[in-house]
Amino acid sequence: MKFVIHVTATIIVCFILQSFLPWWSLAIGTFLVGFMLKNNALPAFLAGVLGAVLLWGGMAFYIDFTTHSILTEKINKLLPVNSFLLTVLVGGLVGGLASLTGALARSK
Amino acid sequence: MKYLKAASSLLITIGLIYTLNRGWNFGSPVPPLGKFLNPFGGFWQNAETKKIPNEILNISGLKDAVTIYYDSLLIPHIFAQNDEDLYLAQGYITARNRLWQMEFQTHAAAGRISEIIGDAALDYDRTQRRRGMVYAAENALKAMEADPVAARMVNSYTRGINQYIQSLSYKDLPLEYKLLGYEPEPWTNLKCGLLLKNMALTLNSGDKDLEMTNALKLFDKQTIDLLWPDNENVGDPIVDNSGKWDFTPLRLDGWPMALPNELVDAKPLEKSPPDVGSNNWAVSGTKTHSGAPILCNDPHLSLSLPSIWYIIHLQAPGVNVMGASLPGAPAVISGFNDSIAWGVTNAQRDLVDWYKVEFKDKSKREYKSDDVWRPSRQVVEKFRIKNGKDFYDTITFTHHGPVMYDEGFKGDSEMKYFALRWIAHDPSEEIITFFKLNRARNHAGYMDALNHYASPAQNFVFASVSGDIAMRIQGRFPVRRKEEGKYILDGTLTRTEWQAFIPNEQNVMYKNPARGFVSSANQYPVDNTYPYYINATSYEAYRNRRINKLLSEMSEITPRDMMELQFDNYNLKAEESLPVFLNHLDTTQFTQAQKSAYKILASWDYENSVESEGASYYEAWWDALYPLTWDEIKNAKVALDYPTTYTTIKLIKEKPDLSFFDITETPEKETAREVIQLAFIKGVDAIEKWKADQQKEPRWADFKDTFIGHLLQGLPAFSYHVQHGGNHDIVNASSRRHGPSWRMVVSLEKTAVRAWGVYPGGQSGNPGSPYYNNMLNTWARGEYYPLQFDADPTRYKSVQATLTLKPTQP
Repeated sequence: MKFVIHVTATIIVCFILQSFLPWWSLAIGTFLVGFMLKNNALPAFLAGVLGAVLLWGGMAFYIDFTTHSILTEKINKLLPVNSFLLTVLVGGLVGGLASLTGALARSK
Repeated sequence: MKYLKAASSLLITIGLIYTLNRGWNFGSPVPPLGKFLNPFGGFWQNAETKKIPNEILNISGLKDAVTIYYDSLLIPHIFAQNDEDLYLAQGYITARNRLWQMEFQTHAAAGRISEIIGDAALDYDRTQRRRGMVYAAENALKAMEADPVAARMVNSYTRGINQYIQSLSYKDLPLEYKLLGYEPEPWTNLKCGLLLKNMALTLNSGDKDLEMTNALKLFDKQTIDLLWPDNENVGDPIVDNSGKWDFTPLRLDGWPMALPNELVDAKPLEKSPPDVGSNNWAVSGTKTHSGAPILCNDPHLSLSLPSIWYIIHLQAPGVNVMGASLPGAPAVISGFNDSIAWGVTNAQRDLVDWYKVEFKDKSKREYKSDDVWRPSRQVVEKFRIKNGKDFYDTITFTHHGPVMYDEGFKGDSEMKYFALRWIAHDPSEEIITFFKLNRARNHAGYMDALNHYASPAQNFVFASVSGDIAMRIQGRFPVRRKEEGKYILDGTLTRTEWQAFIPNEQNVMYKNPARGFVSSANQYPVDNTYPYYINATSYEAYRNRRINKLLSEMSEITPRDMMELQFDNYNLKAEESLPVFLNHLDTTQFTQAQKSAYKILASWDYENSVESEGASYYEAWWDALYPLTWDEIKNAKVALDYPTTYTTIKLIKEKPDLSFFDITETPEKETAREVIQLAFIKGVDAIEKWKADQQKEPRWADFKDTFIGHLLQGLPAFSYHVQHGGNHDIVNASSRRHGPSWRMVVSLEKTAVRAWGVYPGGQSGNPGSPYYNNMLNTWARGEYYPLQFDADPTRYKSVQATLTLKPTQP
């Protein structure tokens, strides 16, 4: 249950921060949630990863869907890796590490 | 221990964020991945749909509100209350769709591409600066700012662009900025000057002085006149006014020809390819179905994305004009208003000269001019290089112009200095021409507008609702003595310099000729009775004859007929050469592939249509024949100019035993016959190889493979291959990378001016927009869009959205 709360909180907090701040606000959001929720290291890391993946992946999917993949296809030709995969990979890694850092900073 | 854990986790996180927040280069550049992939601000945000929102924006600097209607092609129809608001809105609106392109092109003009892509562009950048591109733009800017009308126009336009740039956050940046990891800088009036000079560079920087100087040293005068005649005397000149040039021409005394007596071992600058050219014509009401004149224009330029042109409709009290604009310059460049229409093709004239300079010593601070040593001006140019150290280059200016070649740049070991005299370096006020043309009501207004036009010299076609048609070749042309400008000149003698310019009223022009039409296709400009010496790198020989032949035969012309003529794929060059080539062939030893090629060619109808295989075989044959014929030129130790296609074919027909047909690498003595045979075999081999590689039949559209490349070195993700016929030397002048960059047909009917247009791209410069390439296939099929040109926007059939720009309250 706490894990689900962690993931949900990450999505909500990061969504709000990302609407105003640069991309690295994802790390601030996941860090804050990790710090507040006092999860253990591994669940905190995983919740951060999952929250960030869902947020970035969801947003990317929404844009891709509403614009009929007009740009995704072109960027896929440009990058060596599928742009959707790369997006969630980058988001997940940053989110997970920042959440872990938050949890570790709080742990006694 | 736990602090250590937390601290290392923090460090790793920060390290990761740092790594993802900046661009890297591992052989190929990597954008700042965190920024770029973030769906809330990165590339994802550049994906757009067809739907355009209605918006109201506050803009500072406006006097009144401006309303912009976007139609279904994303063409903006701008309605302003005064000229300043009109050009401010044009700047703002154009930047909204084309900002990256506008800045990139002006960076290219100014020799600043290394800042964006690194040291691979340094040589290009140095060439631009040494050519004096910035010097030219600065001179243009001084002239613009000195004229109150031009200054107001440019200031407003620049303000509009900057209003847009200031409104941007990372999320809104054009995709290319995100990809390359940089940001737009403020726009300046100088950039408008740079953009216009970039056009001059494309159209009017051609010269072959260096090559011809070498030719003069290597060959006799007879050979030079045979291989590189000033006038090939083919077809009608643009203006044939024989015996009616009733003015007293300026005459210059003395002999200008003082040449450096040596071979020049320098590498000439890269030239615009010969497939850069254009068509324009106007037919009078006597030849049209409606009784109204029809005017057509299709400029052939590099086929690139974002498109060179941006269609715009500008309306304010005193002006109601529509047509193609250049992103980065105010006003409409090729278009129409409610009274007149005009269009442009390149005038080709030689307006570039090279002067050999003699410096007193290695410092290059003083140079010889007649009996005195004149001081030079030296400028240190700084080049910022992405991921590299700054580079400095000292450029020396003489009164001729910048010294392009010296020991630091493309010069040879013996230190030969050549200064560039280029018409585009002179102050000029082209922008006034377009301000006035956009508002012209009649022929007199057109003539007045053109009096302000200097460079790049153009053939301006004209037609009016009142029934006039006209052609005027306008530019600032030096009065030349015979042969002047063909060879490198001695820069130590002032008598070799440009002494005077042809007065505007003595330029080549006429109005309402008896034949009922005017036309130009980059051919030789004027009949032999025109009293000034004229030369150019080359003049066009085929398109002009085809256009004039069809126009003379036509009557009851409709706009549709004109569209078909712009899309005409008939290969006149093939008609004139293929039967000769085929006659020369010895078919006895043919392989199966050669036999079948011969059959296809013999039954070909000379149409370079999409499906034609004959066209592929013919062009492959020609592409082998031309370099084989001129192997002496290709293999010469110094740079020489290739004779034109027309001259080559003429020599094959008339002088098949000419020594140039001998292939120097072989012991045998070849004539045109053997060269044709060998080229045929090579051409068929090329097609066979292509067929094996592609696993398909050589349809012309596939074999030619017209490619519309993104400005970033044709980045495949943002570029397109299209199915398109035509070729250079054909009215539909689409070669692989060049072609009709804008096709316009205007019917000047008394009830209302009607116009059609299309270009190979779309109004948006954003590869993530459906408007990036939405006109591409229409263009490729030779179809057009009716342009909605109405003073009353409520009558537009397809308004997509309305944008209101409101002045910010102080």
